[in-house]
Amino acid sequence: MKLKIKGLIATKEGILFIIFLAVVAIMTILSPSKFLSNYNLQSLAYQLPEFGILSLSMMLIIITGGINLSLTFSATLAMIVGGLAMSSVFANTGGAFLALVIGVALMLVVAALAGIFNGFVVSYIGVTPMIATLGAATLFEGISLNITKGGAISGFPLSFIMIGNTAILGIPVPMLIFVVILILMWLLIEKSKMGAAIIMIGCNPKVAEFSGIKVKNVLFKAYMISGLLAGVAGVIMASRYNSAKESYGSSYLLQSVAASVLGGTSISGGEGRVVGTLLAAMILQVISSGLNIFGLNRYLTNVLMGFILIFVLAINFVTEKFKKN
Amino acid sequence: MKKVLSVLLVFVLIIGTLGAAGAKEKKEDGIKIVVMPKLVGIPYFNASEKGALQAGKDLGIEVIYTGPTTADAAEQVKMLEDLISKGVDVICVAPNDAAALTPVLMKAKKAGIVVFDWDTPADESVVDISVHQIDDQKFGEHMWDLLVQEMGPTGEYAIVTGGLSAANLNTWIDHGLNYAKANFPGLRLVTDRVPTDEKQQVAYQKTLDLIKAYPNLKGIVGVSTPAPLGAAQAVQEKGKNKSIAVVGSSLPTDSGPYLEDGSLRVGTLWDPAKLGYLTVVLAYNYLKGEKPYDGQEIPNVGKITVWDDNRTVIMGPPTDFVKENYKSFEF
Repeated sequence: MKLKIKGLIATKEGILFIIFLAVVAIMTILSPSKFLSNYNLQSLAYQLPEFGILSLSMMLIIITGGINLSLTFSATLAMIVGGLAMSSVFANTGGAFLALVIGVALMLVVAALAGIFNGFVVSYIGVTPMIATLGAATLFEGISLNITKGGAISGFPLSFIMIGNTAILGIPVPMLIFVVILILMWLLIEKSKMGAAIIMIGCNPKVAEFSGIKVKNVLFKAYMISGLLAGVAGVIMASRYNSAKESYGSSYLLQSVAASVLGGTSISGGEGRVVGTLLAAMILQVISSGLNIFGLNRYLTNVLMGFILIFVLAINFVTEKFKKN
Repeated sequence: MKKVLSVLLVFVLIIGTLGAAGAKEKKEDGIKIVVMPKLVGIPYFNASEKGALQAGKDLGIEVIYTGPTTADAAEQVKMLEDLISKGVDVICVAPNDAAALTPVLMKAKKAGIVVFDWDTPADESVVDISVHQIDDQKFGEHMWDLLVQEMGPTGEYAIVTGGLSAANLNTWIDHGLNYAKANFPGLRLVTDRVPTDEKQQVAYQKTLDLIKAYPNLKGIVGVSTPAPLGAAQAVQEKGKNKSIAVVGSSLPTDSGPYLEDGSLRVGTLWDPAKLGYLTVVLAYNYLKGEKPYDGQEIPNVGKITVWDDNRTVIMGPPTDFVKENYKSFEF
C-alpha cells in the first residue's frame, strides 16, 4: 500500500489525481450537501465535456510545439455555418432529422477545414503557429460576424437540442461523446505511430525530419484533428446553448491552454498525456463550479485558478529537477 | 520530499480558499436572490451591483451579484447551472444572448426557481418578470426633446449612432424621428443615421466629416454611449461648442470633460444602480406573493410602469447629466 502511494506521487498524473481529490474534498466541506448533490454532479458532467474536448485539442497542438489560438473561433465558425444550414433546412422542409444530419455534418466539416487552413499555413507555408493561428482567429471571427451580424443563430430542431441536454442511463450525452474522444485521443497520442511522430516533432523537428518522419504532413494532420475536435465541441455547445454565436466559449481559449499545461503538457512541446489533461480539466472545472456554488467573488476565483496553475507548474519543475539530480 | 510537497499544496489550497471566504458574510437560511449581469468589472455593471447589494441590505436578504468576467454566454450558462445546484430562490439575469440561456433557465424553473430578466430581455417564455430600464419610445422622444431644447426647433441636424444593426438603438431613433416629424416640422435631418461601430474614435472622425459637409449644422444626436462623446470631441476640436449642440445617450463620468466646456450639452441615460435596486426589490416582492402593478411606488427608485401583460416592468424616465450634476454619479 505504501509503495503504491509512493508510486502515485512519483508521477505528474499521480500528483494531479491527489490534487483533484483534495479539491473535491475542499469543495464538499465548503458546500456540504450541495457540492456532492446528485444535481450538481450531473451538472458538472454536462459542463466538463465541451471544455475537456477543447483542452485535448489544444494539448495536441501544444505537444507539436505550437499553440492554437483560433481554437474557440473555429468551433464557433463551425457552429454558425452548420447552424445556419440546419435552421434553414429545418424551416424550409420541416425535416428535423435531415436538418440535424446536415447541420452536424457541416459543423464538423467546417471545423476540419478551419484546421486544414491552420495546418497549411503552419506546416507548408511555415508561419509560426502563434502568429498563424492568431491571424486565423481574427479571420474566423470576422467571417462569423459577417454571417451573424453580431446576433445569434437559432431555430434548431429539438432533436439537435437533445444532444447536449439529455442523459442516457443518467449519463449526459456530451459525457458519452467525451469518453469516446478521450479513448480515441489516447490511442492516437500514446499508442499510434502518428502520436510518436507528433511527440518527436515537438521535441525536435529537425531530428524528427532526419529520422524519416514527414514533419509537414504530420503537423498538417495534427492541426486538422485539432480543428475537428473543436467542431465536436462546437456541436455540443451549440446544442447546449440552443443557438450559435461567435463569442460562445471564448473564455475557454486560455483555460484550455491552462488545462493542457496544468496536465503536464510541456509548453515547448514534445510531452503530454491525455489522462493528465483530463485530470487538469476536471480540477479546473471543480474549482470553478465549487467556488461558484460557495459564492466566492468571481475575480478571486480567477486569482485562485492562476495561483494553482503557477503552483503546480512550480512543483512539476522542482520534482523534475530532483529527478535529474 | 514529494509527499511533503503535496501535503503543503493541499494546505495552501485550503488556506487560500478559506482565507478568501472569510471576507464574506453568510446567511444560512433565508432568501437568496441572484443578480447576474452580462459581465462583471465594467462601470455600468459595477454601479448596478451597488444598487442590488444595497437593496439586499435594506431588505435583510442575501443578494448574490455574480457574473462572468467576459461577456460570454457560455460562461453565464455554466455559472447559472452552478447556482441552480447551490439552490437559490430567484435568478435575475441580463443575458449576453437570449437564446443561449433558454435551456438553462428552463432547468431553473424546473428546479422551482423564479426567473427574472433585467437590463436585457431573455426569452419571454421562461421569464416570470422582465425588468426594463426605460420605455423605448419615451427615451427616443426624450433625446429629441433635449436636442430641440439645445438647438431650437428649427435647423439642420444629424444622427450619429452606434451601429445600423443594433435593435435597441434603431428603436430609439425610429421613435425619435416619428416624434420629430409630428412635433418639430422645422427640424431637418441632413443625412441618414451615421454608424460608428460603437467606437468613440469612429464617431469623432465621422462627425468631423459631417461638420465639413454641412456648414449649417446646428445639432447632433448621439445614440449609443460612445457616439455623443466622439461627436463632442469633434465639435470641441473645431471650436463649434456654441454653434453645434451635441446631445445623446452617454455615461456621466465619461461625459465630464465634454460637459465641462459645453461641447456636449446634455447626456441622458438611466441610473444602473437604481435598476439593480429595483430588480432585487421586485424579486423579493414576488417571493412574498406581491406582483408589481402600474404606478407602484418603489422606495429609492420611484414610480414604475407595468405593461398590460403584467410582467414587463419599466423603471421610469431617464436621468439627464449636465455640467452641474455629472459628478454625483458613479458610472
